[in-house]
Amino acid sequence: MVVVVQDRTRSKEETVNALHAVAAEMHDRMMRGEPPRMTLPVRSKKNIAFDEKLSVYKYGSKKTIRDATSLGSAHQLLRALHVTEFMEDMIESKKSSTLREMYYISEGWGYGKFSSQNESNNLAEDLEIVTGCLREDFKLRPEEDGARIIGNLTFQEKNRRGEWMRINCRDDVGDSGYGVPYNVESEKLQLIEHDIDFMMAIETGGMFDRLVENGFDELARCGLIHLKGQPARSTRRVMKRINEEWGIPIVVFTDADPWSFRIFASIAYGAIKTAHISEYLATPSAIYLGIESGDIEAYDLPSDELTPRDIEALKAEKSDPRFQSQEWIDQIDLMLDLGKKAEQQSLAKYGLDFVTDTYLPEKLQQKLGLVIG
Amino acid sequence: MDKAQRIASKQKQISISEFFEKNKHFLGFDTHQRAIITAVKEAVDNSLDACEEGRILPEIHVEIKRLEGDRLELITQDNGPGIPRESIANVFGKFLLGSRFHAIRQTRGQQGIGITGVVMYAQLTTGSTTTVMSKIETESTAVRVDLALDTKNNRALKSNEDRIPLEEWFEESGMQSAHGLRIRTVMAAKYQRGRQSVHQYLRMTSIVNPHATIRLKVIGKQGEIIDEGEWIRTTKKLPRPVVEIRPHPHGMQFGTLQRMLKNTKERNVKSFLRKEFEKVSPLVAKKILEHAEIDEKKRPSGLNVEGIQNLLSAFMSVKIQAPPTDCLSPIEDLLIKKGLEKAIDSRYAATVTRTPTVSQGNPFQVEVGLVFGGDLPSDGAVEVLRFANRVPLMYQQGGCLLTKGIESIDWRRYGLEQTGGKGVPKGPAAILVHLASTNVQFTSEAKEAVSENEEVLEELRRALFEVGRGLQGHRKRIGQREKSREKFDLINKILPEIAIKSSSMLGRPEPDLSPIITKIMNAVFCEEDVIWDTKKKLARCSIKVYNYTARARAYTIIVKWPERDGVRLIENERGGRKETRGLWAWRLDAINPGSMTEISFAVEGLAHGDWKEAEVFFRGNGEIIGSEKIDESLLEEIRKQEGLKGVVEEFVEVAPVQRQVIEVASERDSFNEADEKKEWKSGNTLF
Repeated sequence: MVVVVQDRTRSKEETVNALHAVAAEMHDRMMRGEPPRMTLPVRSKKNIAFDEKLSVYKYGSKKTIRDATSLGSAHQLLRALHVTEFMEDMIESKKSSTLREMYYISEGWGYGKFSSQNESNNLAEDLEIVTGCLREDFKLRPEEDGARIIGNLTFQEKNRRGEWMRINCRDDVGDSGYGVPYNVESEKLQLIEHDIDFMMAIETGGMFDRLVENGFDELARCGLIHLKGQPARSTRRVMKRINEEWGIPIVVFTDADPWSFRIFASIAYGAIKTAHISEYLATPSAIYLGIESGDIEAYDLPSDELTPRDIEALKAEKSDPRFQSQEWIDQIDLMLDLGKKAEQQSLAKYGLDFVTDTYLPEKLQQKLGLVIG
Repeated sequence: MDKAQRIASKQKQISISEFFEKNKHFLGFDTHQRAIITAVKEAVDNSLDACEEGRILPEIHVEIKRLEGDRLELITQDNGPGIPRESIANVFGKFLLGSRFHAIRQTRGQQGIGITGVVMYAQLTTGSTTTVMSKIETESTAVRVDLALDTKNNRALKSNEDRIPLEEWFEESGMQSAHGLRIRTVMAAKYQRGRQSVHQYLRMTSIVNPHATIRLKVIGKQGEIIDEGEWIRTTKKLPRPVVEIRPHPHGMQFGTLQRMLKNTKERNVKSFLRKEFEKVSPLVAKKILEHAEIDEKKRPSGLNVEGIQNLLSAFMSVKIQAPPTDCLSPIEDLLIKKGLEKAIDSRYAATVTRTPTVSQGNPFQVEVGLVFGGDLPSDGAVEVLRFANRVPLMYQQGGCLLTKGIESIDWRRYGLEQTGGKGVPKGPAAILVHLASTNVQFTSEAKEAVSENEEVLEELRRALFEVGRGLQGHRKRIGQREKSREKFDLINKILPEIAIKSSSMLGRPEPDLSPIITKIMNAVFCEEDVIWDTKKKLARCSIKVYNYTARARAYTIIVKWPERDGVRLIENERGGRKETRGLWAWRLDAINPGSMTEISFAVEGLAHGDWKEAEVFFRGNGEIIGSEKIDESLLEEIRKQEGLKGVVEEFVEVAPVQRQVIEVASERDSFNEADEKKEWKSGNTLF
């Protein structure tokens, strides 16, 4: 039973009121003679928990208080005020800006200036969390690259002139596929029709291009989506919509290394950084297709030694609540045991067609019970 | 002549120049780059030694000119006592090998070849003679002579000897000194800059000779200036004259003992032991000979190999007092500090002079200096400045005991970066190490690296620990200052903006910040600042105490200042009283919540850079950030010591009046000054 999450876009007034509440928390405390502060959930793997109702991982109840008793936190509070004021201005003037633009605009904020882009990104997320709004409500656009899609899916996207455009992701696009926009809500993007059995998310560009060239989308009646490493919010959101609105299963095909496991976790269970909107981004029914740790031996794949960083990452995953199922524990332990990792493209050891003729059909049959061809 | 004799005589003929050729690398003339450094080194070491013996404040000029064909012209000029005409040929023309054999004292020129090597090298590589100009005080004219070497007979050949009038001497020397020495020579050599250069050698020399003024000018073929340096003296105090001592039995080696036995004028071994060695009393001599089973009356030259060996082992078995250590000439910590500050711009300098001690019959003393911060580069390895008997060691840094001492310490705990807690640390610092000894043991004849010695290493490590702890304290004070500065930024800049911004966004009234500030700070802060008033030549100190707590606070603030003769506390409007030597105390009225009290005063009689950081202590309840609570029991201890010293001081203060007629009075005074500086310094380390 899947809970369909509705659009969460807020009205202009709701957003402004939510932003004012942030300033009001600080002001109220100062009027009482107390140092101003902001209350936030702890944003680490120690404070994410499985939400039974939503089937995704959400922030738990641990709170952190950012108050003006240290210079660093006081800076953050001042920045938060500058950012909320800036957002209010954008909402009023019906403009939007990228996170990077906001970072540069902060040059003029005196002591409220950001010292790195990372800080401004994090603060934007903080504000999403405390206000319950989305950055789209704040008129902030991400810098991140949207995904590419190829396959027999038809979308309708509103172009800059405000007209709806119908796009078939197989017939109306070139080799690079359909570029997913940063806003994939129904006001901008609508799912029209499809003729596919499943959607395959692919970690690397090289493998995506290989599957396109081999015509795997038609061969296996599927849609292909290129994740470009850790998938952007819009990529995860569009996968979730495809999964929920069309009832199409999502399978994930990545390298076999600790970072790929995390990519899958962010798609299926929710990412730690965005756990406040996991129910809106994560696809709990997503399936990890491979490459699995066991495949390195089973298929005798060319592999690399795990680096100390890899090993550290695997060990960290063992204490990550998202990887506590027996399947994942086995997966991680086996990789640690082997001391090896492998790339998707190592399948080319057996020829360029091996992945589409043998590996993927075997995996799909095993995991989905699908028979290809 | 038989064959063997012929070979022997031939060997003798070529011996000196061949010796030179074969040992170029020991003598420092193996490469063209090194030759010029060695030549400068020999000349400058001689100048410094001569000035020291003549009790003259040295002024040394070094000029190097590039000539065609990889040749350099070297001119060195000093204001030393000069050399009498009749001695010039001896000083410059003879290899004085082994001439100071019995004299055990700390000297710079330990290479044994000295300036003669420079004359030899110039002659061998360019055929040039070396021109020497010497002016001694008792003569009205200077002497000028060209020197060449007769290598066959180990003597100098003079030519063009001439007398020059005083005016010409003044003009040539570029100094208004009635005495001095000028050397000019041409040699195959190459001038280069960098870590191993004449410039670096002179810079290092100036650090350990803060009483010397040294100037360097290097001129290219077109007359352009390639490199220059100027190191002005920072003290008028001359190094203590070194005292010669006799050898100590514990440092004896077979060959040396054998030679001493052969050359002695003493008639029997007992008087030989008593007269030729330090710390051998008649009783000790008797015990040694009993142990060696040698008859007291035996003639020294009559001892056979076995006898000498027995004597050596008896030396080690009989208890003998350690040798005297006043034969050493340490630079002394305050002067190291001055030397370092003259060559390196930094924020902090700490120095330690260990008391002299003895290893294998040889007195030695370790001194260490550390400078930190300022313009020093923070990314690279710390600069290591090594010295043995005031002579810079520029080569073989890695293989030197002095470097190993630095490497063996975990500098991370003192705030320097160091991979794995071993090796030369990284950071904005320079470390100076000086080993003074009557017998510095080197790893090789090149005399560039000190060889292993457990006792020296242990002393060195102790000295390094001490400067390390000083650095730690300095960094702690910096850290505290940084912390309070952050807090001040927070309440003065950030908080008011948060108040204004949130109020204007919400259209609400602005909150009163004072109760919030008290809650955020909830502490008393102390800020100290010492600045140098260039115009009035004063060090100005300001201490601000901020009370950011909810109730009024009263404290006594105690500041450490560099109290000594000729240094006075002035412009001290708040008065206060002397707590003890070097500590001044002010009792402050209660400081209300949210207010600040400032103490300001100036110190006169200091030089720029003498005092950069004031240590602030307090007496009262609670904590003050940026200040330490005074340790009353320690204070009591110091007062007791001061009580004793008071008597000594009074005595000393009377003395100069009597001494005024004596010429050395000024020098004596500077001794006193330095001694007292030391006292203050040792007080420094108590906190």
